[in-house]
Amino acid sequence: MQTVFINPERCIGCLQCEIACAVEHSTSRDLAQAFHERPLPRKRVHVEPGPVATTSFPNKCRHCDPAPCQRVCPTGAISRDAGGDLVLIDPARCIGCAMCAVVCPFDVVTFHPLAGALGPDSLVAVKCDGCKERLDRGEVPACVESCKVDALVFGDLNELIAKGRLRESNAVLSAAGFSATAGPSGDPLAGWRAFGIARATVDDAAQDVWNRRRREAARVGAQPGNGNDSKENNGATREEGAS
Amino acid sequence: MSTTYDGGRQLGRLTIHDDAQQMIDRAREEGIETVWDRLHAQEPQCGYCQLGLSCRNCAMGPCRVDPFGEGPQRGVCGADADVIVARNLGRTIAAGASSHSDHGRDILEVFGEMARGETSSYRVTDEAKLRRIADEVGVATEGRDTKDVAIDLADELMANYGSAKGSLSFVGRLPQLRREKWAGLGITPRGIDRENVEMMHRTHMGVDNDYVNLLLHGLRTALADGWGGSMIATELSDIMFGTPSPVTSEVNLGVLSTDQVNIAMHGHNPLLSDVILAAAQDPELLELARSFGATGINIVGLCCTGNELLMRKGVHMAGNHLMQELVLVTGALEAMVVDYQCIMPSVVDVAKCYHTQVISTSDKAKFPGATHVSFDPRRGAEIAREIVRIAVEAYPNRNHDRVRIPVAPVKMMGGFSVEAILGALGGTPQPLIDAIVAGSIRGAVAVVGCNNPKLAQDFEHIELTRKLIENDILVLVTGCAAVANGKAGQMMPDSADLAGPGLRAVCRSLGIPPVLHMGSCVDNSRIMQLAAALANALGVDIDSLPLAGAAPEWYSEKAVAIGAYVVASGITTVLGVQPPIFGSANVVSLLAGGLDDVVGAKFAVEPDPYKAALLIRGHIESKRQGLGLTFIAPADIRDAEPAVAGASSQG
Repeated sequence: MQTVFINPERCIGCLQCEIACAVEHSTSRDLAQAFHERPLPRKRVHVEPGPVATTSFPNKCRHCDPAPCQRVCPTGAISRDAGGDLVLIDPARCIGCAMCAVVCPFDVVTFHPLAGALGPDSLVAVKCDGCKERLDRGEVPACVESCKVDALVFGDLNELIAKGRLRESNAVLSAAGFSATAGPSGDPLAGWRAFGIARATVDDAAQDVWNRRRREAARVGAQPGNGNDSKENNGATREEGAS
Repeated sequence: MSTTYDGGRQLGRLTIHDDAQQMIDRAREEGIETVWDRLHAQEPQCGYCQLGLSCRNCAMGPCRVDPFGEGPQRGVCGADADVIVARNLGRTIAAGASSHSDHGRDILEVFGEMARGETSSYRVTDEAKLRRIADEVGVATEGRDTKDVAIDLADELMANYGSAKGSLSFVGRLPQLRREKWAGLGITPRGIDRENVEMMHRTHMGVDNDYVNLLLHGLRTALADGWGGSMIATELSDIMFGTPSPVTSEVNLGVLSTDQVNIAMHGHNPLLSDVILAAAQDPELLELARSFGATGINIVGLCCTGNELLMRKGVHMAGNHLMQELVLVTGALEAMVVDYQCIMPSVVDVAKCYHTQVISTSDKAKFPGATHVSFDPRRGAEIAREIVRIAVEAYPNRNHDRVRIPVAPVKMMGGFSVEAILGALGGTPQPLIDAIVAGSIRGAVAVVGCNNPKLAQDFEHIELTRKLIENDILVLVTGCAAVANGKAGQMMPDSADLAGPGLRAVCRSLGIPPVLHMGSCVDNSRIMQLAAALANALGVDIDSLPLAGAAPEWYSEKAVAIGAYVVASGITTVLGVQPPIFGSANVVSLLAGGLDDVVGAKFAVEPDPYKAALLIRGHIESKRQGLGLTFIAPADIRDAEPAVAGASSQG
């Protein structure tokens, strides 16, 4: 399943995803014009602060399946898209009862006065629509495009999770003293420093491991996941070029 | 060049020039990163910053105001969108004004050293101008030595930098009506440094919390640049290096030589470039170059240092802002000698891919990875020889197989100082006024400013300028806009053919191009001076004149300061790139509307050059109407061109 995955430890709270989301859901799609529109375009991703300063979490609809919101919606305003990956709200059928918000495990449904079933300014449930139009054009969701630190990434769910796992694995083993270049160092301080560096490094190290596994898997005739983005291909090429 | 407009960006086109495009392609082939790659990596850029809604001025913040109204509407201190946007704009103006003014001070300091005989590298080239300026600012000249006059003029102008004076020396050039207007608003510039310092003070948390008051001081800060720092830079450069007069030069990457040592002078300050030019004639260095197999030493200009050299010496021009990385990609440059402003840190990285030496010279502008030769004007000639020697010694490292000079150069004319323009008119502005009154010239527009990689390079400059001259509007250009128009072949006397019948006839009779090169970006002060001279000759304020300004591809803080002093001087200005103010509807409405009632001019933003041309023509005709001259009614102002069959006419 293709989805937006969140690396909360990477979020710096810049709120660019919120702005990009609101502009994407405006009529003009232009920043300087969007906030003059009525009704105002609304963000569907919410960056809320964490327990300590400089932590934050960009929260958005996880498009659950089965989706509790869809089950409890009394007017049938919530449905799944044809592909089955996205949970969508039809504002024309929404009566603003907020049952979806009540059962949402992630509290990502918000209500704004839009043109709902009860009239021009009635409250309507608003949440992430997965940037369906952008995906149809072959683009990534607006929040992912705007995220400069890979706190929000888009791709195959299991592949993204596996990348995180490999990064973790790399970090832990670095802490234990294993280094790709020098072998076990026996210096615990250096090990933990390496842990920090590896933990903070965006998927590069993990990517190399992942590429190697993919290639090995391909050799025995099995493919892990179905990811086929250019970044991975580049990674594979680079590695082959180096060997 | 009938290019169909597609939203300013000429989708898929980064530049409209062949020389630039070939070098971009080559950079991509060779894996060399350029400004366009970095812009792409930055996109989408910060929405708050684009709207001016982020504030980093204190440690209670940083703060942001949510333009969509859901999130915070005030910073931690309580500043709303209006205050935050106005503060940010104020600091931007102060940065731009400081840049020009610090450049002016560097010239002034050397002028003082020269006057006191502390350097032999510089001399008074235009003594008549020295005496004229001295008279103007109240320095006694009658029967006095040049040296004494120069010392007193240096002291008098240095006093402009502090706050000892009630107002700047050159404010006296303005029409009485304009001076009264400024006094009434409390925006008469008092001291160059003072206004900048006061802006930094006012934008500190808890000082000026009234956006109108902040913006007014923004205008005063800008005026201290246009009628202070920049004007001092221009006038003293003329006295020391010569007042420009019409000169023919060549432009684009074709000015590089395949068999000479090529040195590009990049930056803004003529103090360095002037002595480098002299060092390039040094027989010993020429002999050294020949011993390495080069046939000579070829100095070319980039950006405004290039404009300073072109205006006074006819030195060839390699290109404007967005050419600075591409000129390196030719593989033909032995050295890029830089002083300050607009020099991308990236030039050092691009140069590493070739044999090119990047030589930094200003102690206030260092570039890690470059060779730093500290430029002390007192030993100017000696240091210049040292710099040229480094370049010559790099020549044997040139890989001739990698040299690719893409095109043949184009001719352009420069050198139109106010003195030169008045000279061409027979010593008074009257013939120009007569032509404007008769309607053969409808008015004049200053097309100035930078390049911005968000737009197809030079497209807006060239198209806007051409539309204006086609409609009998004289265009005055400086900086990157001048280079753009030169490359497009719009700046030779023969280019009069591109102009409408009225302007064409005037250009033909005077032998001048319809687009006049007035210099570097500090030389926008020449345009201010010309506008004031026209207003004084007619006995009206500047805002009554059929004039406009345009900065179609601006990027820099300096451009914001220029725009602000042009508007505060009474000339409406159209920007092609949206400034970061749209987060405050009040600030936008003041700058794009309310200001007109206060200073008789305002800002507009229009990225489409054809629409901008219509906007400017409408403005000029309305000013003609105001003066009781013949005018074209708004309904009759439309574009003559739906040029290409099938292309939709611009809307």
